[in-house]
Amino acid sequence: MEEYNSGDEVIFNSDEANTIVKECIEGVIGGTDYDQSKVNQWTANIVEHSLTHLVKQGRPFKYIVNCAIMQKTGAGLHTANSCYWDTATDGSCTVRWENRTMYCVVSVFAVAVAL
Amino acid sequence: MDDYQTEEETAFIVEEVSKIIKESVEAAIGGNAYQHSRVNQWSTSVVEQCLSQLSKLGKPFKYIVTCIIMQKNGAGLQTASTCFWDNSTDGSCAVRWENKSMYCIVSVFGLAI
Repeated sequence: MEEYNSGDEVIFNSDEANTIVKECIEGVIGGTDYDQSKVNQWTANIVEHSLTHLVKQGRPFKYIVNCAIMQKTGAGLHTANSCYWDTATDGSCTVRWENRTMYCVVSVFAVAVAL
Repeated sequence: MDDYQTEEETAFIVEEVSKIIKESVEAAIGGNAYQHSRVNQWSTSVVEQCLSQLSKLGKPFKYIVTCIIMQKNGAGLQTASTCFWDNSTDGSCAVRWENKSMYCIVSVFGLAI
């Protein structure tokens, strides 16, 4: 009796996620300058669009998408992530993007769902 | 027949996690001024301490801990996150900490196994 491919574990494809996120960032803030009144909706749009595209792939994962946008004024910014999960199936991908006036850092974490 | 786990043992409790985060941040950077050469090891130390305290709770969760440390320089910083998970079992907690020279934002996401 054949069920689904039990020998074919689904692994997080980091390169694909990278491409998806880059396109989302470009789509939302590509070509704009840092604007304090708009940055709120930019971060919300970036995370929502990224998540929608990731979910559309239809893979058995739970996702967390994080986005930080910082104005370029010479301040130092440092981010770190640590994860306690199943290293065989789960994964993350971080995209760093910048233009003349701001930095944007987006992280995607994908955690496999037991079917 | 007593074979169920109490809800406390399997739920993501925000207050408990928040307390763990605050303690980890204080221990790692409390009382320090922003130093470019050390911020690398500070953020690493914050996430590692949080993670080890969280795993000690012994709950059936996978965890993701993120930490942002930013120098106070007048720059604007905006962060957002969105999650695609099981609302009934998974949860998150974010803590914002600051001192005279820097901001520290730590987020913990807990996903039930």
